Amino acid sequence: MSTTTTASGGATAGSLTSVVVRLKVSLLRNGLRQSTRRRAAYITSIVVALLVAALQLIGLIALRGNPHATAVGVLLVAVLALGWAVMPLFFPGGDETLDPTRLVMIPLRPEPLVRALLAASLVGIGPLFTLCLAVGAVIAIAQGAAAFAVGILAIALTLLVCVALARAVAAANVRLLTSRKGRDLAVLSGLVIALGAQAVNFGLQKLGSSGGLAALEPVADVLRWIPPAAALDAVDSVGDGAYATAIAQLALTGAVLAALLRSWQRNLTRLMTSPDGSTLGAAGPTPDGTRDSTRPARLLPFLRADARGGAPSRTATVMERSLRYVWRDPKTKAAWVTSLAIGLIVPLFNALQGTGSVYFACFAAGMLGIQMYNQFGQDTSAFWMVAMTISSPRDAYVELRGRALALLVITLPYATLVTVVTTAMLGDWSALPEVLGLSFALLGAMLATGAWSSARFPYSIPQEGYKNVAPGQTGLAWISIFGGMVAAALLCAPVLALTIWLHVADADAWTWLLLPLGTAYGAGITALGLRLAAPRTAGRLPEILAAVSKG
Amino acid sequence: MVDGAAGVPAVRVQGLWKRFGEQIAVAGIDLELPAGRFIGLVGPNGAGKTTTLSMVTGLLRPDHGTVEVVGHDVWRDPAQVKARIGVLPEGLRLFERLSGHELLSYTGRLRGLPGAEVDKRAAQLLDVLDLAGARNKLVVDYSTGMRKKIGLAAALLHNPEVLFLDEPFEGVDPVSAQTIRGVLERYTASGATVVFSSHVMELVESLCDWVAVMAAGRIRAHGPLDEVRGKASSLQEAFLELVGAGARTAGSDLDWLGGGAR
Repeated sequence: MSTTTTASGGATAGSLTSVVVRLKVSLLRNGLRQSTRRRAAYITSIVVALLVAALQLIGLIALRGNPHATAVGVLLVAVLALGWAVMPLFFPGGDETLDPTRLVMIPLRPEPLVRALLAASLVGIGPLFTLCLAVGAVIAIAQGAAAFAVGILAIALTLLVCVALARAVAAANVRLLTSRKGRDLAVLSGLVIALGAQAVNFGLQKLGSSGGLAALEPVADVLRWIPPAAALDAVDSVGDGAYATAIAQLALTGAVLAALLRSWQRNLTRLMTSPDGSTLGAAGPTPDGTRDSTRPARLLPFLRADARGGAPSRTATVMERSLRYVWRDPKTKAAWVTSLAIGLIVPLFNALQGTGSVYFACFAAGMLGIQMYNQFGQDTSAFWMVAMTISSPRDAYVELRGRALALLVITLPYATLVTVVTTAMLGDWSALPEVLGLSFALLGAMLATGAWSSARFPYSIPQEGYKNVAPGQTGLAWISIFGGMVAAALLCAPVLALTIWLHVADADAWTWLLLPLGTAYGAGITALGLRLAAPRTAGRLPEILAAVSKG
Repeated sequence: MVDGAAGVPAVRVQGLWKRFGEQIAVAGIDLELPAGRFIGLVGPNGAGKTTTLSMVTGLLRPDHGTVEVVGHDVWRDPAQVKARIGVLPEGLRLFERLSGHELLSYTGRLRGLPGAEVDKRAAQLLDVLDLAGARNKLVVDYSTGMRKKIGLAAALLHNPEVLFLDEPFEGVDPVSAQTIRGVLERYTASGATVVFSSHVMELVESLCDWVAVMAAGRIRAHGPLDEVRGKASSLQEAFLELVGAGARTAGSDLDWLGGGAR
């Protein structure tokens, strides 16, 4: 670069903007150069984003002339702006040019820096997507030349407000985002996105059933005064001849943009002139773990039998640690919450829609049983602490059994509850015993195969970011989980066959037998699975440690 | 408990090999470490120190070779070995979502010590290692020095005969380092063996009475400190000679460096 002068030379405001924009482009390009897989992922996401953007553009253009076009446009822009606002909270590491700490050693004034960073953040897929959507919305809404002229202003304002919003939110929360709690939060973001998608899905279904786009009008009436949607509604106002309203809406958007930029600049200045969170966090002992440190122990007093003078039990120790991790480890927690939610939602929603079968209740047992898979991967490389205390298949058996028991403490009541609730909603009480029996048999089969594949196909769970499998171990994870699930289904075959046979043979009066039989079968197969997994675990400790230490 | 006096070496390694793909990390090590000594395993980064310690402690399976700790084969008799050793590995995590006290309580009970005894020892260790104030803080929020100290506490909890520490002073502040040092000196004074790896020669020289020098996956020299140091003025100098890294001159390439701006 031509600007490699000494520090005292400095850069003028204009050249700073171009330097930062070029830095952003270089970072994007170098990111692509790192690996073909990353390049493929990036190109795929560009293509998908552009396709969606193009479809939206076409859809919005097709809406042109529709009386509800404004409502749709305003709503879409508002949702998009919301997305921009939340994004930095969930993808903190998404944009390196965003990280002011990397620029902290360079002598820069705040105003030119904010301008340069704002310009740089207009480069990327996100802004392009936003641009497409804003253009489409303006085409759908604008009536007349004046409206189109305002439309161009509205597009620019929308884009700038979205980008500035993301930057302002990120700068305001940087202390949270760089702290451990912030990173923990980011891991849970996948859940928020999944739930958000469910909400959107639900909303769309409701829209389809309740008289189409007219249902959007009340929402749009509020949103048309909230920037950046206000700028877009100004286009409609101009088309209607309500110039005063349009000016007010544009002025409001402009004011919000100015406020966002000022807040961003203030936070940026503060961040670059004060010590960062990592330094502050390390200073001084702050006993903040007291509050939740004893929670599982309090919940499960029987776990601490040895504290009252009894013999120390590895089972209790292992259970206690496992349950603490369900609550405290963000990855484990996210996996559990997902399993618990899906295990409840699938049977319940199906029952609600009247299409359900009481057998869907087995879903809860199946989803929760997945938590038994890759037990040692959940430990990360801390597995060495476990490995140092396993010197025989017996130790490994007790370790695995402790983990299975910890799982059952949550799973057993939950699966029972889901089954009972589903049955109650469908009113099919006569089926309760057999469904419970099937659930327990499935749970047992999942625990058995989970224990075995934990020993045979362990893989790393990276602790940072969203990935649940370390690079290069995807195949292993697939074998572990899906192979295990197929095996679990096969293991359940005898109980399934018995169920079907009882129904076919018109022996419905005997289906209650499935409860004790299924439960016994589940317990038996779990014990067998643990017995088979134990010697494998004990014999492969270094191999398991190597496999789980890649994250 | 310590049977070093019986003449059994703390560690006996024979023909130890480990290869990762193309790279040979450990290329045939034969070594006998005497019991009851403060032993330093020194070498530059990438010499194979961590790989060797991992194989000796049973955390990594060697390609060839045997390892005996206090007379027991690491791979054939893991129960005897694991009960007698304490380990502080480098680059492996702890159960970081436990508080310092919970981590010790977990480790001790996992090793089968009586609950009351674990709690007593944990409290004392936390106290001596200056972690009592952070006993209820999650390990994930600990600083590097605090992590090393809690790792050391977990390794000492069951009173092992041989303690293996991989870079115990790396990234540790001087105060924590002095604390760790004090605990280790007290521990070896009772007749136990400490084996620790480091690339800081001054540290090894001031702490150890027996050293093994590693470079490129082999042992270059081993024995009592004075023997290995030989005629050299310091271990650093002897080490540089041993690994063949003679003093490189800075040359005239950096003639602009220093002497005012520009």
